[in-house]
Amino acid sequence: MVDATLMAPRRRRFSLASFLDGGGFWPAVPAVLYLAVFMVAPIVTLLAFGFVTIDRGTVGEGGFTLAHMAGVLSDPLVWRLMWRSFWIAVVSTTLTLVFAYPVAYAYGHLKGIARTLLLVAIISPLLTSALVRTYAWIVVLGGRRGLLNQTLLSLGIVDQPLQLLNTSTAVVIGMTQIHLPFMILPLLAVLSERDRRFEEASLNLGASEVSTFFRVVVPMSMPAIVAGFALVFAVSYTNFIIPQLLGGGNYSTLAVQVYEQTIVVLDWSRGAALATLLLSTCFLFVFAIVALGNCFTRWNEVRR
Amino acid sequence: MSQLVIENVSKEFGALKVLQSCHLAVEKGQVVTLLGPSGCGKTTLLRSIAGFLQPDDGRILVNGTDISHLPPNRRDVGYVFQNYALFPHLTIRDNIAYGLTIRRRPREEIRRRVDEALSLIALSAFADRFPKQLSGGQQQRVAIARSLVLEPEVLLLDEPFNALDAQLRLSMQIELRKLIDRVGITSIFVTHDQQEAMTLSDRIAIMRGGRIEQLGAPLDIYDRPRTDFVADFIGRANLLPTEVAGGRTRSPQPIATELPDGPATLVARPENIEIVTGDAVGWSGMIGFSTALGPVIEYEIDCGLREPIRAAIPRQAGRAPLEPGTRVTARVRDEAAAVLLPGRGAQGGTAHG
Amino acid sequence: MSVLRQTSTAGDRVARAGFIALTAFSVLLLVAPSLIVIAISFEPRAYIAFPPSGFSWRWYAAVFQNQQLIDSVWVSLRISVIVMLICLAFGVPAAFASVRGRFVGKAGLNAFLLSPQMMPGMVIGIASLFFGAYIAFRASDLMLVLSLSVFCLPFVVRIVMARLSGLDPLLDEASANLGAGKLTTFRRVTLPQIAPAAFAAAAFTFIEAFDNVTVSLFTSDVRARPLPVELYYLVQFDSSPIIAAISALEIGLSFLVMLVIAKAVGLDRLAR
Repeated sequence: MVDATLMAPRRRRFSLASFLDGGGFWPAVPAVLYLAVFMVAPIVTLLAFGFVTIDRGTVGEGGFTLAHMAGVLSDPLVWRLMWRSFWIAVVSTTLTLVFAYPVAYAYGHLKGIARTLLLVAIISPLLTSALVRTYAWIVVLGGRRGLLNQTLLSLGIVDQPLQLLNTSTAVVIGMTQIHLPFMILPLLAVLSERDRRFEEASLNLGASEVSTFFRVVVPMSMPAIVAGFALVFAVSYTNFIIPQLLGGGNYSTLAVQVYEQTIVVLDWSRGAALATLLLSTCFLFVFAIVALGNCFTRWNEVRR
Repeated sequence: MSQLVIENVSKEFGALKVLQSCHLAVEKGQVVTLLGPSGCGKTTLLRSIAGFLQPDDGRILVNGTDISHLPPNRRDVGYVFQNYALFPHLTIRDNIAYGLTIRRRPREEIRRRVDEALSLIALSAFADRFPKQLSGGQQQRVAIARSLVLEPEVLLLDEPFNALDAQLRLSMQIELRKLIDRVGITSIFVTHDQQEAMTLSDRIAIMRGGRIEQLGAPLDIYDRPRTDFVADFIGRANLLPTEVAGGRTRSPQPIATELPDGPATLVARPENIEIVTGDAVGWSGMIGFSTALGPVIEYEIDCGLREPIRAAIPRQAGRAPLEPGTRVTARVRDEAAAVLLPGRGAQGGTAHG
Repeated sequence: MSVLRQTSTAGDRVARAGFIALTAFSVLLLVAPSLIVIAISFEPRAYIAFPPSGFSWRWYAAVFQNQQLIDSVWVSLRISVIVMLICLAFGVPAAFASVRGRFVGKAGLNAFLLSPQMMPGMVIGIASLFFGAYIAFRASDLMLVLSLSVFCLPFVVRIVMARLSGLDPLLDEASANLGAGKLTTFRRVTLPQIAPAAFAAAAFTFIEAFDNVTVSLFTSDVRARPLPVELYYLVQFDSSPIIAAISALEIGLSFLVMLVIAKAVGLDRLAR
């Protein structure tokens, strides 16, 4: 005798749960479409604009042309600015690392309210706008009336106010401090979860605490260091607000040029070409950083 | 003079007394195991010897020198961690060389000594690999070599077999004991596995609640436990509450003893219990649950006590096991092997090992 | 870690003192600028001085009397709320597919969903501006919302994904074993567990959209500037402490959001 219930076709009721948990791709479709329309298409447009002449916001005559790219690549000013963008990013990222590592390390050794306070101090800047944080440095480093100068003058350390604002130094200092949380967080995550027994083993084998720090703790955190360095470098290299506000009207970097050409000069083709150059060199540099870092983290990749 | 002396060491964590007046003396070349359930303080004691913990009271002496206040990097003891703690970013060779590198030994000397260590543990072919690429057993050997290459006075090992598969364990324990014998180094193990302790040690220190309850050779402890807890922890035991009066126990099977009058616990191991069908002098009861353990059948005999009496009877060809419900009498076979402990133990009759 | 507190070599002690000094300096570096700005905001006179010569709320009052600023705050609020809702609506389901999906190319989907974070905000801003021009669409509130949602989507996806993958799948099985259907399980077991994370993601997205400069500068309507854009122009032309007051208010807002997130999932979760 055939069981009737086995014969009836199963009606699949659509439910939110099976939609979300069904193991399918469907729940992501809206997001994918959204990004495709509002991110991919725009980026393609941006890249394309570097290869056509844009006249008053619309594609002008001439079709595909390499003139704008060539114009950008043959301009010595562009290369100078790119070099400047590169080295202020490298210097400030390195300084950020120097200051971030002790903070991330110390976090792991704190408990209770001190730990919470430190976390608040680290995360709060991430939730305030870059403008507010840059403004603080304008105030501190500003000319005669800048706070640093006021302090130095009143303490008699200098006779003349230091020209700090509107220099590369100001930009580097600003970037170093403003990007601290971006470097601290990845390091903090790794350092606070590290297995202390490796340090005990090192001590047991006769190493001093200093030795242990440099031979065990730091090398084992190298993957996080490389990741943090790459991240902060990319953010610094492509930043235009800090160089603009702390470097002053006559100061420029590659990122600042992109802004100016696009918004001020309204030469969109050139702006697009510069943006393409900025993006591609950024990817290249980050790739180089990660590749270099891989030399020091080979031990993490090996398999049995 | 003993090579390692732990003298009256105590440690408290807040209100918790983790170690209470521990005494231990270990002779040169001996292998001692600290054995006990979790929380008994065995790892705390081991870490105190290494210097990772400062005792509140007492001293630790190595070759007569008080090392109690030396930091962990100035004590001459090797420590093998439970998960081995091999530096993942260094090769096997660099791991083993670590201590020598720290001490700034000449490069030639380091290479020679590391090579020797590698051949001692038979891993010369793996010298340039990273720890991730080795099996658990191989990592353990490297961890031991890393300590031994520095020729410490004492080697400390924290549950070194915990991370290994059960099948591997027995053979690795034997291998390790042979290695230690070959090198001749004084060693202290920590474990909660009694079989491991029996295999590895010259002497076992049974720990409970921060104290060392009994110290002795494995079979000594097995044959002559001094407390209920020890009797119960090593091997399996029947703990039968009884009373001594005039040189004999007032149990169904009277046993002669030199204990003074008063309550006592009779300790009889299952292999020392025989079963007699029908009437006899002993504990009468009924067969309950039985477990076939291969060469032996273990019977539970309900005699009206808090716990059944357990008997381990070797199987005899052609003889069927006893049926549950059979009326039998359980008796101690070798009265001399039974142990009498004064006082009614807090456990009063638990019998599992 | 009692190991570190024991007596050690002189070299170690010197090193430890130096390290503590460096750490203290770094923490000071981290917080000092914000603290200085907050202090300056109470300056009664019309120029910047530290320490402030007195205590006055005048610049805060000035903020609330500045119609342009108030308008920009409303713009930012409006925009940020909408961005937050959009990112939640698209991001939460996407996170589900990313974590629970069983299909080829899941890693690719992951990378794609998180890709907006790989590029500078400026690039997203300019790209949106150009694309808009190409399809004859001007910078406006709508363009701002669309470009900011792209920028903020990865935040939601990442936070919800992290929570989802931390859920114990056995709980779902237990629920099914006890007789609950899929929808019920989702409603009673899954949703309550990810709700705090979604909430925290929403708060985080809101504040990121509220504070954003790099994208907003390019895609906002000139006639309806969000607060950060307004500030951007203000900073370059005005050196009175009014900006300090706004900054202090923004810092206050960040504390509020942190409190919300801390209550929802705990701050240290955000740190991962």
